Amino acid sequence: MLFSGVNTRFHKIGLAVAFSPTAMALLAEADRLARLFSAELILIHVGKRNPSEEEKMDILLKKTALIGQCKIVWREGKPEKEILNACHEENIDLLVAGALKKENMVQHYVGSVARTIMRKAGCSVYIANNPSITPKPIQQIVVNAEDSPHIEQAIATACQLATLENAPWIHVVRELKLLGLTLSANSQYTEQEYNESKQEMMREEITAVEKILATIPHPKTKINIKMVSGKSGFELCKFVERKQADLLVVGAPPQRLSLFDRIFPHDLEYVFADLPCNLLVVNLQKENYGQA
Amino acid sequence: MGKLSHADVVHLLLQLSIMLLVGRLLAEAARKFKQPAVIGEIIAGIMLGPTVLGMINPEWFQALFPVPSTSATILSGFVQVAVVMLLFIAGLEVDLHIVWQQGRQALGTSLFGLIIPFFIGFIFPYYFPDFFGIADTHQHLVFALFMGTAMAISALPVIVRILMDLNIFKTRMGLLVVTSAMIDDVIGWIIFSVILSMIGKHSGAMSIGYTISVTITFVVVMLTVGRGLINKALPWVNKKMAWPGGVLSLSLALCFLGAALTEFIGIHAIFGAFIIGVALGDSEHFSERAKEIVHQFINNIFAPLFFVSIGLRVNFIVNFDWLLTLTIIVIAFAGKILGSGLGTRLGGFSWRESFAAACGMNARGAMEIILGLVALEYGLINERVFVSLVIMALVTSMSSGPLMKWLLKR
Repeated sequence: MLFSGVNTRFHKIGLAVAFSPTAMALLAEADRLARLFSAELILIHVGKRNPSEEEKMDILLKKTALIGQCKIVWREGKPEKEILNACHEENIDLLVAGALKKENMVQHYVGSVARTIMRKAGCSVYIANNPSITPKPIQQIVVNAEDSPHIEQAIATACQLATLENAPWIHVVRELKLLGLTLSANSQYTEQEYNESKQEMMREEITAVEKILATIPHPKTKINIKMVSGKSGFELCKFVERKQADLLVVGAPPQRLSLFDRIFPHDLEYVFADLPCNLLVVNLQKENYGQA
Repeated sequence: MGKLSHADVVHLLLQLSIMLLVGRLLAEAARKFKQPAVIGEIIAGIMLGPTVLGMINPEWFQALFPVPSTSATILSGFVQVAVVMLLFIAGLEVDLHIVWQQGRQALGTSLFGLIIPFFIGFIFPYYFPDFFGIADTHQHLVFALFMGTAMAISALPVIVRILMDLNIFKTRMGLLVVTSAMIDDVIGWIIFSVILSMIGKHSGAMSIGYTISVTITFVVVMLTVGRGLINKALPWVNKKMAWPGGVLSLSLALCFLGAALTEFIGIHAIFGAFIIGVALGDSEHFSERAKEIVHQFINNIFAPLFFVSIGLRVNFIVNFDWLLTLTIIVIAFAGKILGSGLGTRLGGFSWRESFAAACGMNARGAMEIILGLVALEYGLINERVFVSLVIMALVTSMSSGPLMKWLLKR
């Protein structure tokens, strides 16, 4: 499906699967997404392939009625590295993985498998922080409309998802940078000038979002444009929690996030550090960009 | 606690009232001409001080601002607290979030904008210290280092205002200029603190190695552990305490605590306040509204007192040296425009845009005046140099906007 000249459809969906208590729920979530996008589902498992492991996998797939329905990629090595390599080799568009809402302090700084995938994946990533064996359709979607190279892709993907899921609302969140206003307002503006400047800034931001939305079809979905001010990322999480959203859609970070960004968090690092709900990090690969 | 006499109380209250009133009136006049309030406040001080009132009617001036007197000592204490608070809000203005976001691109621009003016500002006073009015010939190197720092620093609020007036604040160039100015300020104040510690006003000079390590340790600890603790405390304060009283009290308590700590370990108090400001301003729990209230409280009460007091303590006519002033202005323009211009050009902008950005970075504003005043109090510079620095700060702040506008319109 072509949204705003951006091919937002996921053709191949990968699932990073381990034999953990949430494995079945994750399989159910990935299966639902694959059906929704009519995509091929590929399972990626990092671990030594032997009869006992294969048997465990068969049992898992039988329970979810997925046996024989999907390709399984077996890899050995460092999980995060192997999962990302497998995604690249299999040309996966969307990688599904599970993650805790929040890691402990050591894991936060060292980086868990799920967090490394969020930060470094070269494709889109769907992170389920509370997967269910009987997943429900997504109804409340929040999309981050911060200036980024992936902003159009993120909004288009959110609109497409909302259309497929019949979600009534999409909340498009954009940050209002008040830094300049606070600084220059001091002893420089009258109250009226201050309010007018604030209104003008707000109008400019809303117009910027509306311009993007005008190119993206969203026939049955109502759009709520929400301006937030404060630390971007942090305020976004607060809004998502307030709305009790099912899914937060964000564009991939423009540059790779490192340990430094975890020590001095900003933007998406706030989201990655403490997931407010399920997360979709949109990063449509260049070769797909603009193609039908 | 000591007690003030009835006359001292009346005197002090009268001084504060006149300073705030005249400062505000002239700040409003400056605003009409689209100039920063600080320009009006400095002129208010010049009019109330020895330069104008002291010349026209010395008796009135002496009656209003008697020196020495108890009220003068207390007023001086007010001004000291005002400087600490001004540096605190300068720290709040440093948005680490934007610095990290833009930092990689802005680092080159800011380093050029820092190193070249610093070098030009250092080299001339180092070889011609007498011309530049060195106050203490034993502090030859320190004096040259100070002059270098004075040329390297920039005034973020003035820059932001100009960028907003030109409607380019949110463009790539606007964010680059703002981020570079923030990085320059942080590095500039670190260098200045090291310089002040090398003079050692109270407890004797510290070795440069010790000073640098103490300063860097303080910065790192405050921006990691300190910031983390603030982040833990603020949600509790926001939830359990009255708003904005709780957050305001905590902010200023931390500001004074940081200032006291740095003064105690031998770095100047203003540096502690600045770094606490950076740490607090970076907390996601310190809301924009809280920041606004702190800004308004300090900018509209303590900042005017400080800037008006500048004119009260120095005679701007007696200490005006046109050749020195002109030289300092030329060095300030040359260093910053060349340095920041080159840095911005390397960031991928055209020469015209690069020089426009450099003109924005050239604004020195209030920060230069604070820097000069601290150096004057430390006996590092004399009143002639101080007056020249204040004039340079005003000229660069007033010319930045029009120059930038002219270059971008061409």
